[in-house]
Amino acid sequence: MSTATRVANRVEKVPFLSRGDASLLLVLPGLFIFSAFMLFPVVYLVGISFTNAEPANLFAGEGVVSILTFGDATFVGLKNYANILTDPQFWNSFGITWLFVATSVVLKILTSLSIALVVTSDLVRGKRFLRSFIIFPMGLPPIFTITVWRGIFSSAEFGLMNQFLTGFGFEPVAWLSGRWTAFMAYNITEAWLAYPFMVIITVSALQDVSEELHEAAVVDGAGFVSRFLHVTLPSIKRPVLFATILTSAASFQQFLIPFVFNEGGPARANELLIVYGYREALQFQEYGRGAAISIVALVFIGAFMWLNVKKGRLADGVND
Amino acid sequence: MGLLANIGRKLSEDAKNVATTPVDTLRNWKYTVEAVQRGEVPASEVVKVAVSTILATVMVLVLLFPIYWILMAALSGSGASLYTSESFRLVPANPTLKPFIWVIGDLIVPGYAISLSIPLTDLAVVFNTPEITILDAANYGIDRPSSFKKFLWNSVTVAIPTVLIAMSLIIPAAYALSRQEFLLRRKVLFLYVLMTQVGGGLGVALLIGMYAIYVQFGINDSKLALAVYYAATAVPFNTWLLKTYMDGIPVSYEEAAVVDGAPPWRVVTEVILPMSAAGLATVFIFIFLTGWTEFVVAQTLLGTENYTLPVGLYSLVGEYSIPWARFSAFALTFATPIMLVYLFAQRYIEGGLSFSGMEG
Repeated sequence: MSTATRVANRVEKVPFLSRGDASLLLVLPGLFIFSAFMLFPVVYLVGISFTNAEPANLFAGEGVVSILTFGDATFVGLKNYANILTDPQFWNSFGITWLFVATSVVLKILTSLSIALVVTSDLVRGKRFLRSFIIFPMGLPPIFTITVWRGIFSSAEFGLMNQFLTGFGFEPVAWLSGRWTAFMAYNITEAWLAYPFMVIITVSALQDVSEELHEAAVVDGAGFVSRFLHVTLPSIKRPVLFATILTSAASFQQFLIPFVFNEGGPARANELLIVYGYREALQFQEYGRGAAISIVALVFIGAFMWLNVKKGRLADGVND
Repeated sequence: MGLLANIGRKLSEDAKNVATTPVDTLRNWKYTVEAVQRGEVPASEVVKVAVSTILATVMVLVLLFPIYWILMAALSGSGASLYTSESFRLVPANPTLKPFIWVIGDLIVPGYAISLSIPLTDLAVVFNTPEITILDAANYGIDRPSSFKKFLWNSVTVAIPTVLIAMSLIIPAAYALSRQEFLLRRKVLFLYVLMTQVGGGLGVALLIGMYAIYVQFGINDSKLALAVYYAATAVPFNTWLLKTYMDGIPVSYEEAAVVDGAPPWRVVTEVILPMSAAGLATVFIFIFLTGWTEFVVAQTLLGTENYTLPVGLYSLVGEYSIPWARFSAFALTFATPIMLVYLFAQRYIEGGLSFSGMEG
């Protein structure tokens, strides 16, 4: 009798479990590790956000007991939350985060959809090659590409973008020192980083669009634009929606671009929510405050995910 | 082994395809020109195709220009070139590989003395292996090469446990979720789908809590702890991805194996795993890349001695200036293997990312 069968037999003896439930044992290890490393920190973060934790008191004790008591940090109730919710700095960060989500997502969808249309067009030869090259940036580590883009937008006169501008007779721009120019730089970089993933999904969706529909539309005298709007778009709607949801979650949580470019500057004007929380905690040593900011961000991420899974019917695959 | 041989065959096919492409393209062009001359294909059609192909190629070149720019920066050597008064040129004036040598540093296999004592006597045979110098950075005028090899070692010792742990968690779970019905199955799947949307970002949001816990447990400078963390973050998305992939494998294959008397474990090793090769390859690459390229958590948790490649790379960046030549040589040495794997694995990734559960 094999081990698997023995385990299954033993599971069957437990009341309210059936034989097939032994398969749960295959899932549990992954679930356990995931919970230990993702869900436990969330709980801990909630705990910290109610204390006046900072390195001096949080790491005061040793061992397991001091983890449960948050070191020597004291409970301050909702003080951290009250503080951040009355802080204009927080609301600025909150606003700029949503603005970034809106602008970058629109930019990402437009770019990726156009690229995908070009590399699936019948008029283009060597599409397979172009497609291989186009998703190249996906294989590069983000920290590398983002630093490269920092160089491109370098305020020095000979950053690539400024060379480009001067080449056309414009004045060089100090990209990362102005609030909105820096914001624009974030958007362009984010679009460049995200397009390979979006293009892969859109291309595979475009390849599934039925030829017959297109031919029928051509026979009916539909031009390129109306064929795109009435045949292509409805067919690729769901995969593109899916990619959009994933990518807007990514925008909301964008950390590296502002962090590497100018730490959310100039003068903290462009600190996206996650950067704001990170800097409060790990650079300004306000752990309680940083934790509270992170919790607010997590609540929004959570609500956003929940809404998407429910409304976007993302979990359809679950009910197979 | 069958799997490896299979991948090898695919790779050689790919290589052959790449090698024969220029010939094929030329033949196609010739064919088209002949067809136009015979009047079978209207010339306007050919011009249209040519123009749009050229435009598409230009678009791809523009998109990839930043990568080209950085490659040229690495080759231009001086490091200051990007900010000197010369403007950007397509090919550097004096290309040099010096930055790459700086990155790789010395490649010297030190000499070892191997002694074998002969039993029952006092005699011993001593071999002195010669010192093998493959590359001596000092010969090229580079005194203090980078710590690339140390970072590489750190990255490898993080990535290997990450992949092993994650794969051993993901494969059984994906199989169970795809093939069996059990208690809480829907709940688990739902949680995983929910979590697929938040990869690294959630990690950054949690970083404060995680950092506090790690410091208190005293594992904040441990590579193994980091590897387990990476494996944990990889679980939801990759389990779900592999599960959707396995859903696409017809159950009849397994039934046939069962009818032939195969025990459950053989059904898995002989039917499920080989048939989900593409899915496994995709998941493998995703997990590997998570550990290989992650920066924020590694930077926060690890001490200087344990820096992985991304953190080491960023440590080259100064507050106001970036040594571009060295930076890009370092980054390219770090990224090129990944890109090559990626290019060859593309067919798997595109196949593995089918999102079959998504089409409604």
